[in-house]
Amino acid sequence: MSDDLEKSFVKQLKENQNIIHKICRLYTNGEDAHNDLFQEITIQLWKAFPKFRGESKFSTWAYRVALNTAITLYRKSTRTVSTVTYEGQKHFLSQEDYNHEEEEQIKLMYQAVQQLNDIEKALVFLYLEDKDYTEISETLGISEVNARVKMNRIKGKLKKILNP
Amino acid sequence: MEELDLLKKAWQKDTHSFEQVSELEIYKMLHRKSSSIVKWILVISLLEFGLWALVSFMFNTDDAIKSLHAESFEIYLKIITYVNYAVVLWFIYNFYRNYARISTTTSTKQLMHDIIRTRKTVQHYVWYNLFMIFISTLLGFAMAFIYNPNMDMLRYKIEHEDGYKTLSITICMVLITIGVFVGLFWLFYRIIYGTLLRKLNANYKELKKIDL
Repeated sequence: MSDDLEKSFVKQLKENQNIIHKICRLYTNGEDAHNDLFQEITIQLWKAFPKFRGESKFSTWAYRVALNTAITLYRKSTRTVSTVTYEGQKHFLSQEDYNHEEEEQIKLMYQAVQQLNDIEKALVFLYLEDKDYTEISETLGISEVNARVKMNRIKGKLKKILNP
Repeated sequence: MEELDLLKKAWQKDTHSFEQVSELEIYKMLHRKSSSIVKWILVISLLEFGLWALVSFMFNTDDAIKSLHAESFEIYLKIITYVNYAVVLWFIYNFYRNYARISTTTSTKQLMHDIIRTRKTVQHYVWYNLFMIFISTLLGFAMAFIYNPNMDMLRYKIEHEDGYKTLSITICMVLITIGVFVGLFWLFYRIIYGTLLRKLNANYKELKKIDL
């Protein structure tokens, strides 16, 4: 029985692992930190898994737990200010042939996002994942209005970072 | 915001750039918490071993024995010391084996089994150490009583005066001292290994809850 539960968890996690990878990339720098956070999120998801059991889609539930883990872990360890490594950026640019200007814009935008605080990153992450405000508000446990207001503020902040 | 949507587009297209984690690796991650506790048990037992080796190196017992003219005891002490080293090393080897086993386990059942095994090893280790402390302090007192010149008066008193009373008082004092000594060590082990075992136990309970 337990082995079945474990099996189903491992299978679903494996299928949905890109969610976690993306969160890790946003919240960490470097491979080691990425893997550490990935493991921590995996453990937290597994701990919470008995409570999950089909209340929503695995991915929706995973967004919530994973972001919470990233945020609390981020708060626990006062990390040095993110400096974006080259590796962090090259992912976006590896497959698609953007023109040079677009490429530069994406790079700068990504750097700007990295400078946001942990909560802001969570919102941006869900936005980048193309979630609507209903889902964003549910995942982060805030009201929909609050989510919209926050997102607008973040956009303002990003603009300021890009054009100081 | 144009730039953000550009990033969004790039972000969503980017699904193949992550090194994919295999199922086996996920299993390992789930069990790594236990394995890190077991690793600490191994590390602490090694540190403890090193500490005692250092202490016995710094307080040279050979000199103490010579000054007491207790050479006949020396051979027993040597035997005890070497046997003790062998046993402690055997325990450390077992801690290592527990660690190696737990970090490669892939099933919950096996993990629970390994946790119980580790608990047992630690418990045996602590009991063994307490027993050794008891024996060696007892031996120390016996040696002091028989050979230490400062004890002459006490020996004389026991032999010639109210022997029974003094003897029983002496034995009581010795037992109380040993009791306190062993108790202190018990406390020390309880704090260090007890904390780790409690964590391991919590992990076990968690696994068991899932195992319904």
